Amino acid sequence: MHQAPVLELGGFNFDLSTIGVTVVTFLITFIVAKVMTRNLSVENPSKMQNFMEWVVEFVQGIATSSMPLKKAKAYVSLGMTLIMFIFIANILGLPFAVITEHPEPVKVAGLTIVSEEAVQKGIEKGHHGAEILWWKSPTADISVTLGLALVVFFLIHFLGLKLNTKHYLKHYMEPYAIFFPLNILKEVMKPITLAIRLYANIFAGEILISTIIMAGVFGIPLLAVWQGFSIFIGAIQAFLFTVLTMVYISQATIHEEH
Amino acid sequence: MEFYWENTVFAILAFALLYFLLNKYAFGPLFSVMEKRREMVQEQISSAESNRKEAERLLAEQQKAMAEVRKEAQEILEQARQMSGKEADEMIRQAQEESARIKEEALKDISAEKDKAVAALRGQVSAMAVMIASKIIEKQVDEKSQEQLIDQYLKEVGGKL
Repeated sequence: MHQAPVLELGGFNFDLSTIGVTVVTFLITFIVAKVMTRNLSVENPSKMQNFMEWVVEFVQGIATSSMPLKKAKAYVSLGMTLIMFIFIANILGLPFAVITEHPEPVKVAGLTIVSEEAVQKGIEKGHHGAEILWWKSPTADISVTLGLALVVFFLIHFLGLKLNTKHYLKHYMEPYAIFFPLNILKEVMKPITLAIRLYANIFAGEILISTIIMAGVFGIPLLAVWQGFSIFIGAIQAFLFTVLTMVYISQATIHEEH
Repeated sequence: MEFYWENTVFAILAFALLYFLLNKYAFGPLFSVMEKRREMVQEQISSAESNRKEAERLLAEQQKAMAEVRKEAQEILEQARQMSGKEADEMIRQAQEESARIKEEALKDISAEKDKAVAALRGQVSAMAVMIASKIIEKQVDEKSQEQLIDQYLKEVGGKL
């Protein structure tokens, strides 16, 4: 198990690797989207524009599968941001991992990045010092996936309260008032399952990659297969996260007449 | 692996900012372009529809005008035919009148000539009678010879006539 480079500053713990890869994912997502939507044309779209329009229609398809098209349009942008960010985050850790070994605590400009504690932990596990993982998928960190899940959680309840107040509040008491605790539990479990599902899939993929790497040269074919499969998993998880977000939003905001 | 809540906050902020930026600089323009295309297609469909209707209307108008023109031509032809028939009748009538007039004139001429001839004959006959009388007086012939003479003269006269 590798450790994270944690910068302690003013009582906060900044995990440099997670923050770093999150920023990288952020930049890649933004640059890809920006480049893909360059030179937009109504009558003569470029190949990149065609691809982006396909993505838009794909996400619109996801959204409309759970709510009417009119209402779905407002969430297409959210769905696109989610699916692109998560997909890029998922495959970011696939090509390589950067791990450094530190027998001594590391300080940069008087700030501790690798603490004495971390070095001790590494030695306890039989290494020469702290093994610091610098490059990984941001979604292989539960704190990031929980952040995304919390965004969705906040959105669901905010939109539910704003757009569908009466039925949103009523649904906690359905079918009977006694189900109230169960309904609360259901709502709380939504972001937790979202976060853990995404995190566990990606984290397990990276663990398996680092395990295969231990096999050395013989592991290369298996590594290739697993990395290919991991791209697939990354796409599926991004898709699933988006689908569930849309389903939750529609559950909270759409009141169907009976 | 430890859990750092700072990461969670950072991820939330990063995602919110990414959503904001993408919405403003990438997806917003893309959506508006897609919307514009949709509108363009709609517009083209509706304009094609209206063009088709216009064409149909024009075609109907043309057909109507064509039928009218054909009818008019028919009428003109009919009129022309009637007119020419009348004209021919008129010409025939005129010709008949003309011929009748000519015939009448000819008849008048003939009768005038006849009257003239009869008048001339009368003159001659009276002159001959005077001559005959003078010859009778000259010769002092008997009744028989008188008759013979008269016959002879009459024959002479008849031969002259």
